[in-house]
Amino acid sequence: MTTHGTTARRRRPATPRSELLRVVVLGVIALPWVLIPMWLLLVNSVKPYGEASQLDLALPREWRWDNFAVVFEEGDYPTALLNSLAIAVPTLASVLLFGSMAAWAFARSRRVSMKVAYNVCVLSVLLPPAVLPTIYELQTLGIDGTRLGYFLVMVGTRLGVVVFLATGFVRAMSVEIEEAAAIDGASKPQIFRLLIVPSLLPVLLVGGVILIITIWNEFLFALFLLRGEESATLPLGLFRFASASSEVVAFRWDLVFAHVVLTSLPLVIVYLFVQRRLVQGLSEGAIKG
Amino acid sequence: MPHHTKPARRSARGRWWPFVVPTLVLTVAFFLLPFLLNVYFAFTQWTGFSSRISVNGVDNFVNLVDSGVLPVAIRVTVTYAVVAMLMQNVISIGLALLMQRSNRGNSFFRALYFLPVLISPLAAGYIWSAILEPRGPLNQAIGLVVPGFDHAWLGDGTSALVAVAFIDVWKWSGIVTLVYIAGLNAIPRSLVEAATIDGANAWRAFWSVTFPLLAPSFTFSVVVSFLGALNAFDIVQATTRGGPGDTTSVLNIAMYRQYNGGFFGMASSISLTVTILVVVLGVPLIAFLRRREVEA
Repeated sequence: MTTHGTTARRRRPATPRSELLRVVVLGVIALPWVLIPMWLLLVNSVKPYGEASQLDLALPREWRWDNFAVVFEEGDYPTALLNSLAIAVPTLASVLLFGSMAAWAFARSRRVSMKVAYNVCVLSVLLPPAVLPTIYELQTLGIDGTRLGYFLVMVGTRLGVVVFLATGFVRAMSVEIEEAAAIDGASKPQIFRLLIVPSLLPVLLVGGVILIITIWNEFLFALFLLRGEESATLPLGLFRFASASSEVVAFRWDLVFAHVVLTSLPLVIVYLFVQRRLVQGLSEGAIKG
Repeated sequence: MPHHTKPARRSARGRWWPFVVPTLVLTVAFFLLPFLLNVYFAFTQWTGFSSRISVNGVDNFVNLVDSGVLPVAIRVTVTYAVVAMLMQNVISIGLALLMQRSNRGNSFFRALYFLPVLISPLAAGYIWSAILEPRGPLNQAIGLVVPGFDHAWLGDGTSALVAVAFIDVWKWSGIVTLVYIAGLNAIPRSLVEAATIDGANAWRAFWSVTFPLLAPSFTFSVVVSFLGALNAFDIVQATTRGGPGDTTSVLNIAMYRQYNGGFFGMASSISLTVTILVVVLGVPLIAFLRRREVEA
């Protein structure tokens, strides 16, 4: 350590005491902010009806694992899970692929028509999509109420985000390698596949995770567009299950919580795998490029 | 490099348009077209009781204003959005300051505070309605200090609106916090330290150096949280369904009620109102925050 005042101060690490205080504060806030809500959810999802209705944080006196079986059967969980997967996975794949293709073109082409097309896409980031005319349009196309219709709408309303994020990213990339590859005779699809996609991976990963969270949890359009039992996604299944339970008797907290646990589980599992890179990517500014 | 001497840019063989067509077709068909149609449907009589759709001018809006639905919903939506936006940014900046440094302990806390983002807004609504029940955990805890405390947080108009906005904030705070951490880490450390050395205390240093330099993250987060809250629906539907009375009936809830009643034209008019609010409030907000960024 140097004795020179300024340098010493600049290099000074946080004192152990203030560091300890910070950790304690974060821990104390985390208790009501994250831990108690999660605990309440988990513990009450395995209580019998009467016990769960007291909404306390105690461990179950009687463990009722059956709640999950009830959700599986009466809540039609397997169907909803398959529907969610059958919609979310192709939506994510299409949005990332088409979005990054378009982003490359928007970033590199200087034609006015491309600028107009770019602005149309980015408009969809800011302006809320209109749900009623969407129903009308899907009726006209004969795919109203179907998973295909919902999938197309999900893709059409979410491409803008990828275009917005990826175009900014490509613009910041040097064009010279692409030009060199072109001189060497590479075609556009080759350049896209071998140069652009690998460079875009960081932004596509973070953008992809944000997208999968919003697509997986999407409720408003699902409620309007997927009216049949058999096409319900997980959030819609949860909503119908909770609404039905509250009409029969008092709110079935035990079963609703069990459904929430099962509905949230797939995303939590995905999160465990990408958590480190996602949180790191976001806290290094991947969203704003 | 020789190719730089030529004015024309070299690019690979083939055209650009095949790369744009899938995105453009899907966006135009499933975002732009419905969006434009909505402007038309908002001025039509379109119901579930007849297959005829006929233009009826501003009748829908007159009806919605006369019945009080629209004025109430606009007031509730704007209040909700302002409350959510303020809470979201104050809380997230606070958490970001606490977790700014990248070390092992903070990685753990960042991952922990991110968890609510994963939960669907609907599920968040159910979890918090349980916590806020008159006999729920929150009142049980308050009851330790104030015996017999049984305020129905979601049963009273004022506290219901704030509570629902809070659930929205809770659900998204994990991401907004990370955006602010990115902003904080983009500020040259020497600037903040220079202020500290010049004798500013932590509070002064934050307001005179850190906060102004946080402007880009601030603009992004304020705009996203405000515009997002103007579109609120899921959490309200899971907790209060617009009640008690119509104290939490945001525009999208009012839209859903009209739709359920079979009044599709009216629902379109309310939907158009959301769009108008986003433009009328969002554009000046973005312009103002951008100007502020330049000045900072």
